[in-house]
Amino acid sequence: MMSTRFSAKATALSRKRRTVLWLAAGPALFALALLVWPVARLLWQGLWGEPMAGLLLDDSVPWWLDAHLQWRVGWTLVQALVTCVLCGVLGLPMAWVLARLEFRGRVAWQRALMLPFVVPTLVAALGILALWGPRGVLGAPLALAGWTLEGSPWMLLLGNLFFNLSLVVRAGMDGLAQVSAQRVAVARTLGATPWRAFWRVEWPVMAPWLASALCLVFLYCFTGFGLALVLGGQHWATVEVEIYTLIAHELALAPAASLAVAMLALTGGMAWAYAWVERRLASPARITPVPRRPVRGLAIWSGWALALGAWLLLCGAPLLALLLQAAQAVGFGQGWEVLREDDTWRAVSNTLRFSGLAMALATALGVLHALAGQAMRRWTPAALAWRASAYAPLVVSPVALAFGLLLLYPQWLASWPLLVAAYALLAYPFVAKALTAALDALPDQYAQAAASLGAGPVRVLWRVTLPLVAPALRRGMAFAAATMLGEFAVSLLLARPEWLTLSTLIYQRLGRPGSANLDAALVLSAGLMALALLAFWLIEGRGEPRRAPHQD
Amino acid sequence: MWQTFRRWETSATAVLMCGWLVAWPLGVWAQANTSSPSVLRVMTHSSFDLPKPLLARFEQEANVKLQLIQGGDAGEMLNKLILSQAAPVADVVYGIDNTLLPRAVAGGILAPFPQAAGSVAHRPALAHMADTAGPDGVVAGLVPINYGYVNLNIDKAWFAQKGLALPKSLQELSSPAYRGLLVVPNPATSSPGQAFMLATVAGLGEQAAFDWWARMRANGLKVVKGWSEAYYTEFSRNGGSRPIVVSYATSPAAEVFYSKQKISASPTANVFLPGAVFRQVEGAALLKGANPAAQAAGVKFIEFLRSPAVQQALQTRLWMYPAEPGVAPDAVFQHAQEPTQFEAVSLQALTAQAGSWQRRWTQVVLK
Repeated sequence: MMSTRFSAKATALSRKRRTVLWLAAGPALFALALLVWPVARLLWQGLWGEPMAGLLLDDSVPWWLDAHLQWRVGWTLVQALVTCVLCGVLGLPMAWVLARLEFRGRVAWQRALMLPFVVPTLVAALGILALWGPRGVLGAPLALAGWTLEGSPWMLLLGNLFFNLSLVVRAGMDGLAQVSAQRVAVARTLGATPWRAFWRVEWPVMAPWLASALCLVFLYCFTGFGLALVLGGQHWATVEVEIYTLIAHELALAPAASLAVAMLALTGGMAWAYAWVERRLASPARITPVPRRPVRGLAIWSGWALALGAWLLLCGAPLLALLLQAAQAVGFGQGWEVLREDDTWRAVSNTLRFSGLAMALATALGVLHALAGQAMRRWTPAALAWRASAYAPLVVSPVALAFGLLLLYPQWLASWPLLVAAYALLAYPFVAKALTAALDALPDQYAQAAASLGAGPVRVLWRVTLPLVAPALRRGMAFAAATMLGEFAVSLLLARPEWLTLSTLIYQRLGRPGSANLDAALVLSAGLMALALLAFWLIEGRGEPRRAPHQD
Repeated sequence: MWQTFRRWETSATAVLMCGWLVAWPLGVWAQANTSSPSVLRVMTHSSFDLPKPLLARFEQEANVKLQLIQGGDAGEMLNKLILSQAAPVADVVYGIDNTLLPRAVAGGILAPFPQAAGSVAHRPALAHMADTAGPDGVVAGLVPINYGYVNLNIDKAWFAQKGLALPKSLQELSSPAYRGLLVVPNPATSSPGQAFMLATVAGLGEQAAFDWWARMRANGLKVVKGWSEAYYTEFSRNGGSRPIVVSYATSPAAEVFYSKQKISASPTANVFLPGAVFRQVEGAALLKGANPAAQAAGVKFIEFLRSPAVQQALQTRLWMYPAEPGVAPDAVFQHAQEPTQFEAVSLQALTAQAGSWQRRWTQVVLK
């Protein structure tokens, strides 16, 4: 009797293990072929490979002895840390205002928090320049007052804030939503001041959410490439830009490889830490959230105004400045002419096609990745590493990937399946992330109940689990789609003129002199932003922004 | 009823979407398979742009299917070719210029150009790939297609408004009167940037050139990654704060060509200072290890690039001067006068020292 039960349990375990393997195989093989192997190939070439004809001979000192590269690594760390601190300090009050106060336009603001995520990097950089640049809407008056942001580290930091502040606000709100109203009420009746209640009751609950968001912010800033390239200039650029220069322009693979290894070690550790913090967030419990109160009293009112104003200035105004410039290009320039060109419509159609195809692949990969992560014994080191691996495509140096692919698959590099795969590679983490978080928050009982009523695992997944996590899946897909539309994946590979996409077209127009080209680039940027927003809105659908299932 | 309809609508949309997603790649695949002529893979830098009817006519006459591949900026493109030399990604390359030639030669990626009577390999060219070339201008199989000048451009309105005289020499440019006026692209990441640095070294001599760069650094020189940033975000004509920019001799003509209203004079102008004008010659070549069946077509393509029709069209597409003698300049080129004097660096010096100049520049200007 005992032995049969034991063996049944063992079979169930081994069956589960097999399920995990099957689920994980797809995303794992995909990431191996398109990410790990190419990057490893390039690093190997740089560190131990036989010297190739025409490769720059490495007569430089290793990066940790070179003052210039030391400075680059140091500044990369510092800018990521400073961004984290600024995001925390500015984001916490904003999160509190959004989570605890009731005012007109709150839902609109909450939805607008998504804006920076769906705006392509290139467009965001143009927006930051349109606002804070030497002739920008705010940059020009500031320059008159003697403050030039141009050439200062602030440009990059403002760009970082634009992209990451909303992430922290979002996480802070989610954290505050987990605070139980009863516990706060008990603390207050026991005589705690609002401050004391906040620090002793609310803060411990929300701190992990904030920490997880800050980990992510650190990762994004530390490995950020596009923003640092455009906004960092020559002095304030980051290590990723240095790696890009070393590989793409100087073909100095050895120093690039040693730098990239150091970066990978750091980001890998950070991604693991993030996955570790994230596991503490999974709390499928029922809570009565603290009720919102109206904006009343001078202190509350001024805090509300400050928080909203700061958010508008940092995250809203750059986009408005860009729209303003685009409107000027249409109204007074020749911006509208770009709408009549064949190339523009070809680029729109290509952008939609590539994104559409890649979307299907990215969704499949993301769902498999999340399900495999869920099927693993939850918090074993292997499961943590698997979760952390979802971030790999976001943090690996794109140029290292591009040249690795070139070394590995030269014959496929001008073929469209690889292009679609590259798009999917950069997008599936968004699906995987959103779905993993939703599955974590899903109580096991629903699936267990369905299973006990006789539903098979596939049926449970299809009829119970997926409908429950559908909003999160749609949200992840929406992020993935918005990212892909503005993505520069084509530049990872060898571009083909017939693959012209909106983002490549913008770069192309910026590569030629003359006002018509600048106007065209501005109008195209505004169009790309609109398209990304539209895709996001269509896929995510309307409705209350991200409500966890257990809060219903 | 409504819900049924909604449901039906959603599934119909999904089916249509899936159908489209499947049909499109299949269509592309079928198209790729039914085309009978052989394929010629041409690697170019990302600025390459010729009228489509011209390319279609070439495809028809040579009975080949052109597959254009863009490898990024010229330097990036060359590096991609060097890295993939074991299994070349293209049969022909266009866009390697005289500053990149030494690296292309060292990389051993170029195949010799076949010597046929009457071909471009025997015709004189207006610009030569290097000082070691014969009258045809060909070096190491690289056939000159077009040439241009990298030099300083100024914002005319800015100088008129400030009443500041144009600088007469590089020395003057490094004086306090011109403090903070110049923006240059980084030679490490931009080919016009590199050309400009080479001009200063050739014109002033190495030591004097780097002394000048050090003075310029102290005089508020701004360095950006590439030409686009220099021209579109820093140049005062386009919203920046710098009225002097490193660009091309044809840029003022392009400003007229792409201007809002029809204008008779360009808002920008060339300034040709000694030690600040470099002639860039771009060439095309067959690639080593390429598909042998494509070689004849590759030769035809290079001949096509030197044909009068292309040489005429490239002037307002690539904004370069034709290398083929006897091609009439485009009307808009009256705004792009050619400099009479420019700096040149011998192939030998370029091969031996370009790398060390580059490092020294980074040391003096950036670190």
